[in-house]
Amino acid sequence: MIKQLATSLERILEAFSVALILSMAFVIVFGVIMRKSGASLIWYDEVASILLVWITYFGSATAAIKRSHMGFSGVLFGLKGIQQKIVFWFSEIVVIGFFGVVGIYGWTVLGFFQGETLVSLPWLPVTVAQSVIPIGSALFIIAELLSIPQALEDMAMGRDHDQAELEEYAEECGLDTEELFADRKRTAGVKS
Amino acid sequence: MIYLLLFGVLLALVMINVPIAISIGVVAIGGMLLASGADSMLNVPLALYDGATKFPLLAIPLFVLAGELMNTSSISRRLIDLVSAMIGFVRGGLAMVNIGVSMFFAEISGSAVADVAATGSVLMPAMKKKGYDPHFVAAITSSSASLAIIIPPSISMILYGAIADTSIVKLFLAGVIPGVLGGGMMMALAYYLAIRYNFPREDAFSLKVLGQKFRESAWALLLPIIILGGIFGGIVTATEGAGLAVLAALGIGIFVYKELTVKQLYRCMVRASVQTATVMLLVATSALLGLYLTEARLPQHMAQAIMDFTDSQIAVLMLLNLLFLVLGMFLHGAAAIILVVPMVLPLIHQFGIDPIHFGLIVTLNLAIGQQTPPVASVLATACSIAKVDIWRTSYANLPFIGVLFGLLMLITYVPSISLGLVHLVYGS
Repeated sequence: MIKQLATSLERILEAFSVALILSMAFVIVFGVIMRKSGASLIWYDEVASILLVWITYFGSATAAIKRSHMGFSGVLFGLKGIQQKIVFWFSEIVVIGFFGVVGIYGWTVLGFFQGETLVSLPWLPVTVAQSVIPIGSALFIIAELLSIPQALEDMAMGRDHDQAELEEYAEECGLDTEELFADRKRTAGVKS
Repeated sequence: MIYLLLFGVLLALVMINVPIAISIGVVAIGGMLLASGADSMLNVPLALYDGATKFPLLAIPLFVLAGELMNTSSISRRLIDLVSAMIGFVRGGLAMVNIGVSMFFAEISGSAVADVAATGSVLMPAMKKKGYDPHFVAAITSSSASLAIIIPPSISMILYGAIADTSIVKLFLAGVIPGVLGGGMMMALAYYLAIRYNFPREDAFSLKVLGQKFRESAWALLLPIIILGGIFGGIVTATEGAGLAVLAALGIGIFVYKELTVKQLYRCMVRASVQTATVMLLVATSALLGLYLTEARLPQHMAQAIMDFTDSQIAVLMLLNLLFLVLGMFLHGAAAIILVVPMVLPLIHQFGIDPIHFGLIVTLNLAIGQQTPPVASVLATACSIAKVDIWRTSYANLPFIGVLFGLLMLITYVPSISLGLVHLVYGS
């Protein structure tokens, strides 16, 4: 049930991230074409920058559900039994607590921007652009919670993000991942 | 004392697998709470938002996406075929091809891990089949991919440029001569080892085959011309060049080679957005830490302390090299740049070190860091694909790390190697 929810959220977040990165590529290429044709877009810089922030926080939630944020799993994977579990749950509390604080203050700050609009697009309220902080924080927390069962499973198998990423590449290259990562456990411990 | 405590907390959080970006954010919030109380918390979301809006950083998702598109289409295979036809005939041909392909591929990918995954999965099994030692295979693939991060376009240089407020185009230009020099040094070492250990040759040189492989990869070769020609020619900025790279990679993958499916395209965009977000979250939380450290004037205090200790530029550069080499063993390259560059910038300015020159030094240090365990993302990737032990491979990798270190010393103490081309184009 939780894994199904996690998969559904992952698909939604992926689709949104793809839409954002496509929009950004389009805005930048369109901006170059317009500038070269002598009709520079006044909203180009501001909109592209906002898209980058949105990719940062929606993409971060996507990365959270995939457990692919840069980190160091060597010590955690080297521990065993109850010690490993304590460290795992403590790190989860730190991550969720951080985004809890950011989300609460992000929501509070939105109140200060009421009535303000973007400089280059006066019809777009600043609160819409800034809302990515509390929304992104909430999504990150949900993604982190839903991915805990998979993270526990991976930890038990000694499978870190590095391996998951390589498996994806290997599958696209048509390589046998079972054989390819037979001795991966020995070198596990470093995230890319 | 308080800084040591915060640094200790940061280290402890990273060690227990809290993502580096979040560890930095937690320490920043802790420092702000201790220094200014709960009222300062209102600055947290503002700094996290502003930290991710630096315009030059827009190039990162686009270069990452362009690299992903090229990995997925057959561009890497075509480049391998071309370089094989060019230099495969010499002794140790495949080792040379490995280095040559990394240099070509770097010009369009900008990511060392992507480089290893794309070219290594094809070249490493081929080298092992020809009788090369698997540890040597992993070592040469890994080191040449890391060298490639100083060859433009480079994600690390974009990050450095945005953080140090330095021209990314000049940084790219500064990487050209050191990149080619490093590639030449690595090929010379590979040739020496090939003679010593009697490595095999590939097929004899044939102008006809070379012509055929050149025609097959002509579109792939157009990519660096579009990207670097546009940027260096002043036609587009680095960010716009990245946008054009995406457009060109899409056009070549879909319409010319006809090998990019909708599903593959979608997966490329997902990976690009996730990779971008992991780097950008680091940038954002480091901006938060920067806010706290700047108010505390820590970078200035650090600069003063080092100036009290020495007034020699040579000694300062040696100290900075040592700092980055040690950090590179324990931190991912992007994290090291984002965390340390803002701290040492005042020192760089005080000692009159050119920030472009320093950018090359930082990038090459981090290239070495990708080869030195325990945190050696590129080496670990190469070892995974070659199915060899990381520590034994590190031993085989020592001569190649030696080449990278030699290049670092040359770049550090002969600034004209990196700055010569920049001065030639832009004037000194």
